Formats: sequence, C-alpha cells, structure tokens
Amino acid sequence: MENVVELINVSKKFKGFSIKNIDLHVKQGFVTGFIGANGAGKSTTIKMMMNLLRPDAGEVKLFGLDYQTNEKDIKERIGFVYDSNVFFEGLNLKDIKRIVAPAYRRWDDTLFHQYVEKFELPLNKSIKTFSKGMQMKASLAIALSHHAELIIMDEPTAGLDPIFRRELLGLLQELMLDGTRTIFFSTHITTDLDRIADYIAFIQRGELVFSKSIHDVTEDYALVKGRIDLLDRDTEKAFVHVHRAPTGFEALTDNTTEVKEIFGDTVVMERASLEDIMYYFKGGIHHV
Amino acid sequence: MFNLIRRDIIIQKNQLFIFIPFILFFIIMGAQPAFTFLVASIFIPFNAFGYDEKAETNILLNSLPYKRTEIIASRYLGAIVYMLLSIGLTSVALFAFNKTFTMTDVVIGSGLFLLFVALTFPLFHIFKPGYITTVVLISFILLSWIAGPVVSFISNHLTGITEFFASLSTPSLYMGATLIVIIIYALSWGISTVIYERKVF
Repeated sequence: MENVVELINVSKKFKGFSIKNIDLHVKQGFVTGFIGANGAGKSTTIKMMMNLLRPDAGEVKLFGLDYQTNEKDIKERIGFVYDSNVFFEGLNLKDIKRIVAPAYRRWDDTLFHQYVEKFELPLNKSIKTFSKGMQMKASLAIALSHHAELIIMDEPTAGLDPIFRRELLGLLQELMLDGTRTIFFSTHITTDLDRIADYIAFIQRGELVFSKSIHDVTEDYALVKGRIDLLDRDTEKAFVHVHRAPTGFEALTDNTTEVKEIFGDTVVMERASLEDIMYYFKGGIHHV
Repeated sequence: MFNLIRRDIIIQKNQLFIFIPFILFFIIMGAQPAFTFLVASIFIPFNAFGYDEKAETNILLNSLPYKRTEIIASRYLGAIVYMLLSIGLTSVALFAFNKTFTMTDVVIGSGLFLLFVALTFPLFHIFKPGYITTVVLISFILLSWIAGPVVSFISNHLTGITEFFASLSTPSLYMGATLIVIIIYALSWGISTVIYERKVF
C-alpha cells in the first residue's frame, strides 16, 4: 500500500504551542479522517502538508516527493478546501475560476461547469454574498476540477447544516469510487467519520495519539464499566483514563484483550465512539 | 507566471474605471507630466497589494501550483508591465489634451516609480497586514519631507559631490541613474524573495 502523504518525525514550535515528532502516513485510495480538539494542531499539520508552513525538523513528503524540489508537481495533484473562504471576496465565481484555472495544467472546464450545475452555484454573484454552505461548495467545485489525486480539507463540515453535511459526505463517497483518489480531512464532528472514513488519525496537544484503520480503532478501544473495588494500581494500567463515580467506574481502554484477561466477565464492555475516545484522552492521564 | 500578473487586472476590473478619471484629473490640473506618469504607474500595482495584504490571498496563492519565488517575481515583473501600460495610456491622454511632454518626463516618472516600488515592496512582506498602508504613507511623507533638506545640505556642504554631478555629461548622468535604479530594484527583488520564502501563513 502506497502512502500519499508522509510526515516523518515532524516538529514545529510556536509560542505556547508545538507539534512534536509527528509520524503520519496517509494511504492512497482511502479516506483518512483527522480528529482532535480545537487547537490540537490539526490546521498546523495541514498547513505543513500544503507547504504553507515549514517544519523545524523532520520531513514532509507527498506522492513520495519533497517540496524543496517538486513543489509545483505536488500542488498540481492536490485539491484543497479550507475552513474559511480564501478566495477574493469581491469576485464572482467566474472571475475566481479565471484566476485559479490557468494555474493548473489539468484544469477541466467541463468538469467545473458540471459541479457548478450540480451544486447550483451562481457564476455571476460575488463570493461574499454566498452562504457558508455555498462557499464550501464553491471551494469544492474548484478543488475537484483539476483531477486532483489528493483532496486535503480543513474542517470542511464545520458550520454546515446537517443536511448539507450529509450531501457533502455522500459526494466524497462518490469521489472515492474510482479507487485512486485519496481524501484527507480534519474535523471535530466525529460522527462524520463513522460514515466515510477508512482511517483515523487522532492528534492531541500537538502529538499524534494514533493513526489506525477504523476497524482497528473499534477493535482496540472500548468503554469499560464496573465496580470501583475492581480497580487497583495494577488493573488501572489497562485504561487510558478512568472516571470514578459512587456507583462504579467507567473507563476507556486501548487494549480490549488485556481488559478481558484481567477482568473477565466482571466488567461490561461497550464499543467506544470516536467522541468517547477523544473525551477520555482529553482526561489527560496517559499510560504507555 | 503570466497568470499571476493577469490576476491583478481581473481583481481590479471595477476599480479600473476610476483609473482614467484619476489620470485625467492630474492632466487637467496641469501637474508635471513626470509626476502624472509616476502616479499613473503606482495605481495598479499598489492597489493589487491592498489585496495581497490579506492572509487568505497568500494562503490561496501558495496552495496553488506556484512557487514562492514566482509569486514575488510576478509582483516585480507585473509592476514593470503595468508601468509600461500606464505610461502608454497616460501619453495618449496627454496627447489628447494637447499637453506637451518629453522623453525625459517618461524616464524620470518611471525611474521614480521603480525606486518607489523597490523601497516599498519589501515592506509589504515585513509589516503585519493592516499596518502596511500606514507605514508606506508615512514613509512617503517622511521621504519627501527629508529629501529637500538633504539635497540642499549636500549642495551646500559637499560641493565635491555637486561638482561631480555637474561635470557629468547628460547621457552618462542618465546611464548612471538608470544603472542605480536597476541595481536597487534587483536588490529589493532579492530581499522580498528571501523574506517571502520564510513567511508563515
């Protein structure tokens, strides 16, 4: 399996925030969801993938190429969608297309007009009059019209109504049908990912917690409930974080087999949603 | 690269309607032809910079298949292209209004424009968005305010320099000035590229 994006031991320091030694691989032909709380480092990581930021240390490779020597070739193959409008506000979609299209060798005008029709986008109205959903559709139409192999999206579903969110996810699924495309997108609405993601990368406080297939995530992680007296210093090690209540404990484990061995039938195990996982990790107690 | 230069026209399509009356205003007011050439040249490139101040524009341009060196190059080459176009237009307007001007006016106007570009373009990449216009405005006022006293100081106290300039023949004076403008322009281009390469969006 080929990696379309490879971040190798990447670090970037800012005032009061840093990305620490991230190793992240995005597999070709799959949808990878990038989750994390606000401020966890999702946008920073995406900016490094787009070469808007350069890492202090480590390597960033896309399609096996690096930005120092192949910047144009790499960007030619990427379609990007950002969470805010990056297009000139006063311009209409036709003029924006006039500016963006000549930048790409493989720009496909017919395809662009197909998307414009499909999304019901007005060509002659200025972008600033567009609703958030329409702006997203416009960015998407532009991102999809040059036969990009990799679509990178930063919070594409943020601020969208539930109906359009579903439409968008349906569209992304359609895009994946040809099997060669790769989609990488960040979100903090984890229910989006249950529908379409094949892989999940989870970042917290600038560190990558895991990057696994959604299948492995459901296998490895579980919510465990049981009586407080089952917990002691040793058994607690099986958990990422434990919530105690007078009625019993509830905890997240990243090793379901170990929990089964230790506790057997004395505890109840439930499937942990991505939201559960994010919530318990936020609790902050790491066991390694 | 050409697309990046053309972009300025697409963005400013509507403002260009102000361009013609803007030039005509200076012509009718009887401004120095050299000065008219200067302000006409400034119009498009500096207006374009107003847009490029925004972080979003830089995110967009840098996400498209362009190199940072190309983005800067398009600015510097674009300034020359739009200067030539503006000079052409202004000349036509001057002809139409029966105002006389010489080649010297064109040369002085464009020389001053290129110098102004060279001095201000790097500033656009140093200062934070929002402050730039103020900084450029203040530096423009300061420069014109300081220029007078400095020149008179030089002519009064450093007679060697004035004598040197007076001794030069007109062609060599022009050649020298052109050379200096080209060097400063190239330096400015280099500095802007270095700054822009390191920028974070």
